[in-house]
Amino acid sequence: MKWIRWGGFMAFVLVMAVMAGVWLLVIDGLVERTIEDYGTDLVGARVELAEADLTLIPAGLTLTGLQVTNPDHPMTNAVEVAQIALTLDGLKLFRRQIIVEEMTVEQVQFGTRRKTSGAVAGLPRAPAPGQPTLPDAQFALPAFDVPDVKTILAKENLETLQMVETLKQEIEQEKSKWEQRLKDLPSKKTFAKYRAKIEKLKNGTKGGIGGILGGVAEAQTIKKEIEGELQTIKDAQKDFQTLLPSLKSRIRQIAEAPQADIRRLQDKYSLSPRGLVNLGSGLLGRQVGAWLYQAVAWYETARPIVVRVQQATAKAADAEIAEPVRASGVDIRFAEAEPLPEFLIRRARVSLRLELGDLAGEVQNVTPDQVTLGAPLTFDFSGENLEGVRSVSIKGDLNHVDPENPKNRMNFRSTGYRMSEVALSDQPAWPVALKSGLANVSIRAELRGDALTANLTGNLSSLAVVAGKPGDENPLTRALSSAISGISRLTVETDVSGSIEDYQVAVRSDLDRVMRKAAGRLVQAVSAELHRKLSTAVRKQVSGPIKNLQGSFSGLNGVGGELAKRLTEGNDLLGSLLEQGVSPQQKGIVPRGLPGGFKLPF
Amino acid sequence: MLKTLAKLLRVLNSETEPGQISLGLCFALVAGLTPLWSLHNIVVLFCVLVLRVNLSAFLVSLPVFSAFAYLLDPLFHAIGLPLLTSSSLEPLWTSLYNSTLWRLERFNNSIVMGSLVFSLVAFVPTLLLFNFLIRRYRDHVLAWVQQTRIMQIVKASKLYGAYQSVSRLGGDAL
Repeated sequence: MKWIRWGGFMAFVLVMAVMAGVWLLVIDGLVERTIEDYGTDLVGARVELAEADLTLIPAGLTLTGLQVTNPDHPMTNAVEVAQIALTLDGLKLFRRQIIVEEMTVEQVQFGTRRKTSGAVAGLPRAPAPGQPTLPDAQFALPAFDVPDVKTILAKENLETLQMVETLKQEIEQEKSKWEQRLKDLPSKKTFAKYRAKIEKLKNGTKGGIGGILGGVAEAQTIKKEIEGELQTIKDAQKDFQTLLPSLKSRIRQIAEAPQADIRRLQDKYSLSPRGLVNLGSGLLGRQVGAWLYQAVAWYETARPIVVRVQQATAKAADAEIAEPVRASGVDIRFAEAEPLPEFLIRRARVSLRLELGDLAGEVQNVTPDQVTLGAPLTFDFSGENLEGVRSVSIKGDLNHVDPENPKNRMNFRSTGYRMSEVALSDQPAWPVALKSGLANVSIRAELRGDALTANLTGNLSSLAVVAGKPGDENPLTRALSSAISGISRLTVETDVSGSIEDYQVAVRSDLDRVMRKAAGRLVQAVSAELHRKLSTAVRKQVSGPIKNLQGSFSGLNGVGGELAKRLTEGNDLLGSLLEQGVSPQQKGIVPRGLPGGFKLPF
Repeated sequence: MLKTLAKLLRVLNSETEPGQISLGLCFALVAGLTPLWSLHNIVVLFCVLVLRVNLSAFLVSLPVFSAFAYLLDPLFHAIGLPLLTSSSLEPLWTSLYNSTLWRLERFNNSIVMGSLVFSLVAFVPTLLLFNFLIRRYRDHVLAWVQQTRIMQIVKASKLYGAYQSVSRLGGDAL
């Protein structure tokens, strides 16, 4: 046929073969360079790969000697991996989706030394990790000074004495007032005058009706006057009787006041059991806080890279590009029968080489696009017979399927962790160290958005605790040292809440009970002794003034007696006036009772 | 060495009919305006090698059209994006999107789509245009070019001599 160049078929095959051959020759280098360039861009420091080997049948990739520089320490690798072998879904590769069916990662090490610096000038670094809060390192032992009673009483004012002084002044004022009032009230002299008038009237009565009636009128007048006098005395007596009970009541209160003073001073100066709450937790809190700080620091180191990968993926998926560049343009995504992210590692078997030994585990569903995948990343690592620990297990998941509600969880368990030379208190006054022990630790942590909640449970056994210093004279630290040095088992529970940047730690431990009991016994004994001494001293100080007060009050009592006496005298006088106030001559004229039931007006 | 080169030149400069040259130029239009490593360019390459198309026209004009593509990218994007986001075509694109071959073609990229559509639409008109221009060139300009100093120097070269001797065995030069 005129239009067909038969040799062209051969030429086409030859060209394709040459292209394929070139591709096969260069692809390994291309992959290596791509990983290095992309990784360097992402991390902000050099990422190096010794070798990349891409195979087509089956589709797979083997990476050897991967080193990821720590951008903060360019002479150190953040991660170094001996070998990564991937099997890829070939068909998905044609769709520009990197779906790794299975990945094996061998000998992952952290913090290895580099031969050359991995710093790259002019490259934007991943955002610096956040700075978690370093826990307050100091454990504070409550102050324990046995107070001197004399010093206390010299410093403190007793309320009893103040009350005594106040009441005493009031009593004295009342006494003066009543003395003056008594002077104004009818006295013996006054009644004597009336008695003289009555006598005069009795003896001086004239004969005849006129004389009798005149005498009666005068007697009536005298009677009225006496009654008036008696009324003033009665009024005074009533006032006095109103005053007396309130004074008595206050004197009773003063009698009880010393007890209140003793209680107040004891509360102020003795070490109450309330001051011993959470002693044990305070001792352990420092170490727990340090471990938490380390965990948060690791999280903060990893987070910027994870965030950056997610941002890069989100940007690539975004349909908006300001300036389409040659062969770049905008990729429009359509509904897929089997939607998958552009990058996914379904399962990765990882072996970690740590200082304490090898951990092996599996990570599933590694992808920056969990929304499309619809499943969270899960990880499960464990190790046995490691250096310093019998077994370790770490499981968890990072769930960002709903980007508005991210949820990250982790369960950590370790058994037989050997502790050695752990300083619990650096205080020169009371050093405490855990010389040795075994710990079984369980941690559950959850991060929802920025809200962190975590619970740590530690069962410590075979403990050897050294506390205190030789020649310690403080009874409190001696008692505490004696109590905790004998401990061989311990349970610690820690609750963490807040945010990654600002979290609160609440530590509970049965060490609280042990220390509280030891210190409590000592505190009780000291407290009882203080109470006894305070009681004696306070009572001694207040007894004199109270006695004086009672003496003053007794003096006031005399007023009542005087009022009663005057009233009796007045009543007697009135009685005698009523009985004997008519002369024998007037008896016959003025009968006692008038007919018709009329009575005389007196 | 010179003979080998001359043979190569002969192969490249065979198929000198205006239609063959125009076809070479149009295939170069498609390959040049669209991203070079697209799947459809394998089809273009196949057509260029298997069909009696002027290879040198294809090879010479390919970089020229590629250069034009840089300037026309915004136009291609403006053509491709509305096509890809058209709701009436969405079922078609969705079924293509779920096909591995078409995903390899990257049809869902706005520039790939726009440049391909543009070059396919322009293929026939440019074929006719190039045909017309080549005939006019041969009729009115070729004789003058043969007389220029540059052509004299080229004709005097050994390479041209070798080319001429090989050509005499079959086919005419451009």
